[in-house]
Amino acid sequence: MLMISPRMSSGMQEKQFTACLLNFFVYNPTFGPREGEEEKKILFYHPSDVEKNEKIRNVGLCEAIVQFTRTFCPTKPAKSLHTQKNRQFFFEPEENFWMVMVVRNPMIEKPNKDGKPPTIEYQEEEILDTVYGAVVKQCYSMYKLFNGTFSRAMDAGGVELLTQKLEKFFYRYLQTLHLQSCDLLDVFGGISFFPLDKMTYLKIQSFVNRVEENLSLIKYTAFLYNDQLIWSGLEQDDMRILYKYLTTSLFPRHSEPELAGRDSPLRPEVAGNLLHYGRFLTGPPNLKDPEAKFRFPKIFVSAEDGHEELHLIVYKAMSAAACFMVNASVDMTREFCEQLDGLVGPQLTLLASDICEQFTVNRRISGPEKEPQFKFIYFNHMNLAEKSTIHMRKTASVCLTSVHPDLMKILGDINCDFARVDEDEEIIVKAMTDYWVVGKKSDQRELYVILNQKNANLIEVNEEVKRLCATQFNNIFFLD
Amino acid sequence: MDTDNDQEGETQGVKICGPPLEVNTAADTLATSLSLLGNHMFPDVVARKAAREDERAQDVPEEPPQDTEGSLSLQATEPESQEHQDDVADGTQSDSGEFVVTVLAKAKLEEQGLGVKGHSSPLLEVGIQESPPAAHGGSHRDEDVTAESWRRHRKHIFVLSEAGKPIYSRYGSEEALSSTMGVMMALVSFVQSGDNNIRSVYSEEHTVVFLQKGPLVLVCVSSSRQSEQQLRSELLYVYYQIISMLTQASISRIFEHKKNYDLRRLLAGSEKILDGLLDLMDSDPSFLLTAVHCLPLASSLRDSLSQILQKAITPNLVFSILIAKNQLLTVVQERAVIEDARLEPADIHLLLNLIGASSAFQAGEIWTPICLPLFNPDCYFYTYISYLDPPECTVCLLLLSTDKEAFYAVAECKRRIEEAMAAQGSLGLIAKAQTYSVSQVGVADLRHFMYKPFDVPDNHRQLTQFTSPEMEAPYHTEEEKMRLLDLYRYMHGRIHSNSRPLKLIYHVAERETLLAWVTSKFELYTCFSPLVTKACAITVITKLLRWIKKEEERLFIRYPPKYSTTPNPAKSSRGAKAEQTDSSDNGFLSLL
Repeated sequence: MLMISPRMSSGMQEKQFTACLLNFFVYNPTFGPREGEEEKKILFYHPSDVEKNEKIRNVGLCEAIVQFTRTFCPTKPAKSLHTQKNRQFFFEPEENFWMVMVVRNPMIEKPNKDGKPPTIEYQEEEILDTVYGAVVKQCYSMYKLFNGTFSRAMDAGGVELLTQKLEKFFYRYLQTLHLQSCDLLDVFGGISFFPLDKMTYLKIQSFVNRVEENLSLIKYTAFLYNDQLIWSGLEQDDMRILYKYLTTSLFPRHSEPELAGRDSPLRPEVAGNLLHYGRFLTGPPNLKDPEAKFRFPKIFVSAEDGHEELHLIVYKAMSAAACFMVNASVDMTREFCEQLDGLVGPQLTLLASDICEQFTVNRRISGPEKEPQFKFIYFNHMNLAEKSTIHMRKTASVCLTSVHPDLMKILGDINCDFARVDEDEEIIVKAMTDYWVVGKKSDQRELYVILNQKNANLIEVNEEVKRLCATQFNNIFFLD
Repeated sequence: MDTDNDQEGETQGVKICGPPLEVNTAADTLATSLSLLGNHMFPDVVARKAAREDERAQDVPEEPPQDTEGSLSLQATEPESQEHQDDVADGTQSDSGEFVVTVLAKAKLEEQGLGVKGHSSPLLEVGIQESPPAAHGGSHRDEDVTAESWRRHRKHIFVLSEAGKPIYSRYGSEEALSSTMGVMMALVSFVQSGDNNIRSVYSEEHTVVFLQKGPLVLVCVSSSRQSEQQLRSELLYVYYQIISMLTQASISRIFEHKKNYDLRRLLAGSEKILDGLLDLMDSDPSFLLTAVHCLPLASSLRDSLSQILQKAITPNLVFSILIAKNQLLTVVQERAVIEDARLEPADIHLLLNLIGASSAFQAGEIWTPICLPLFNPDCYFYTYISYLDPPECTVCLLLLSTDKEAFYAVAECKRRIEEAMAAQGSLGLIAKAQTYSVSQVGVADLRHFMYKPFDVPDNHRQLTQFTSPEMEAPYHTEEEKMRLLDLYRYMHGRIHSNSRPLKLIYHVAERETLLAWVTSKFELYTCFSPLVTKACAITVITKLLRWIKKEEERLFIRYPPKYSTTPNPAKSSRGAKAEQTDSSDNGFLSLL
């Protein structure tokens, strides 16, 4: 006879909970300076159903912490607060406007005997400040990309307009934050570039010139293949956040139709009556539809006199995507869109298959895919170029990595160590799991390598990384 | 009025270099605090006539190290104590006329109106005369806490009570900082009210770490970039140093009775000890490594010193410790006691700091209660402290007893030790002992190292020790010394991270190359010249480990001797010295 104790069956196992978003709020301490008016300070609060006094309390704590740290350095107040249960990240993107993100520490729930409530153990040192500090900044950049600054909203419609905009934007955006999969790449906020030969690159450049010449309304253009950038006319910081939006939000939502054709690009003539594969990812899904609306998302990018507002037109053919930006004061019409579709569609389809051909050639040259002895992340602060063989393709929901989260955190630690001193450094560590992790900083470049050979010694590790640098990075890292 | 002051002074121990606490309200508050503390004695502390010419006596008079509330009650013996005190005073004066003895329970007597006659201790007279703030010229306590220079201190430390009352601040007076400390307490309790605990706050330049220990809250505001773990352990040292003077039990008792008690009353005068501790922690890696640094000594000399200590015993003697130049020479332990618990390096650090922080101890013989917080946070050892080489005062003997009445017996032990050492010329030999230079290792490219062997099974319960050469060029300036220590701290923080510990770190930077390595047998931090290759670094480490192996008899106390002072002759045989097996060399080459 099999007896199952009720305790056993009710699951005596420990339950693991990952880090998650507890609160996210925006406040301005100057909006409710008097006692009893504290609620007026709060411009946005997530989750919205939190009781009013609780909101006021939480905002009050942030204010107190910031004020307290000003005792010791008036110009550099607190950036984060660590407590047993959570971490709070403070960011003042515009004067007196504070954004705060509260992240619950990962925790383990351990069941207790005799019906006692389970013991909860918080893992207080799992969250990296640099990573989540960067996430908060990213939140602001993303808001600003689509709404402009907080003070712009204030000027246009006062607190009321600002709270509306915050509500509208963050309600959706916060749902797309996947805090448990944030890592070093969020700190870099880099851009992955597509490596191209000169000829193809020139083809793309002349394509961009041609389009901008023919459609003079277009102010800026950016060109991407898959999730990689090839050409951009935008300022670096604007491109960085636009890139983030495109690759983590817009493209993943529209990826399916391309899947079929990516590896066997069909030329328009082969495709019979179909002239090209081009289509709008923003704006009208189907130009032939008489009901089609010609509305495009508006974005704000930096300009000499502050910011300029633009229509964002994203047009894609197979794996190639072109972003065209047009001054927002101009109304977008059917004529313009048809003109663009007619001009860009066929050319972009051609370019896409050219690039694809080169892509496959490149792959063939580099030889059959063998599980490499190492995985790496590279980032260049000067051009924001980033390369990772650790991360799989990004999707809308998660950014999958192929290594243990603890190793990713060690990379984050090494990144913090590099920030301590402004000089070239190399750090090699051996983790408790015997993995070797190597970090190199040279000039503005950082390289992080995780090696698979557990029994290697320091000298072998060094040799391996030297080889990697020679083959992948043209020996740009000099130290030893 | 005078008598009031005296009473307060004596009862609280020392008020000498503390802020001018409400001296005049003495009578009232004193009564309350005494009633709080109940049936426990206040040992009056120390005192001395000599060394007035000592410079430090000018602006900051030496204060007795602590001011304590005994954990043992003493009703029955009080009257005897009184006599005892007189005896001692008379006796000693006729001997040398320059030392004073701590008399336990005197305050208790005063409380009952029995004590205090004409002759109050000379130190306290000094203290009272010099207690006005003017006497603290140049001290950090006078700093303007709104000035940029105050903000720019590398590490602030604050201690406050749960009621938000300031107890200690490293820079600036507690009064001037009372609102800042009030805010700290408010933050702590605010977070607590949400069923949570505040740990730390990070800004671009500072790390603020909070530590709550019983009724005390300790806060560190640091721009040193040390890890939170390290800063918290430093706060813990501060807490333990306070405990070493007051005991944990008495602190809890005080605050149980009166939440807003001003603990400075009991700690007055001990600021210098905490100041000293903080300075020491910034400059001495012993605290970081939680290991004791011994003075390198020929093993024959160390053995003979141990034997001298081993022979000079008296009932209830627990530890005999000999230090020179603030480093350990040898420590002999009561066998039975050491079987229960082990002498922790942290306790030794606190003892050494206590002694180093005050020149009062140089004056003769001191008999004072000291708590070893890691050994037992709730009770005192009665500690005999005496320098053996006045006036240089580099070699110090500490004898810890559990018997508060054992002063004479213990002083007699000291006399025997002194005699034996004189007969063997030990002082001269000790004076020649020195820390060593890294060049003695004889390998190029090695600039500095710290090596901490772990307990091996044969002699577990041994005091954890480490060895390290002098810091030499390019680390000879204060600034560079601190920079190297900071690099070590950073490596230590990473390799011992709570959540992501590592086995090895190899760090190449522009000015030096560093390696930190933790194995099951040892922990090693090395600093090389910046251009060393990895292959070369490994060779250097191999040679270094061999050298340490060869020198370990000189560098470490290998077999801590023991004695039995409890009347149990069966156990009194010499410490069994198990043969050590050589193990430091095993398998490390394959690891690197």
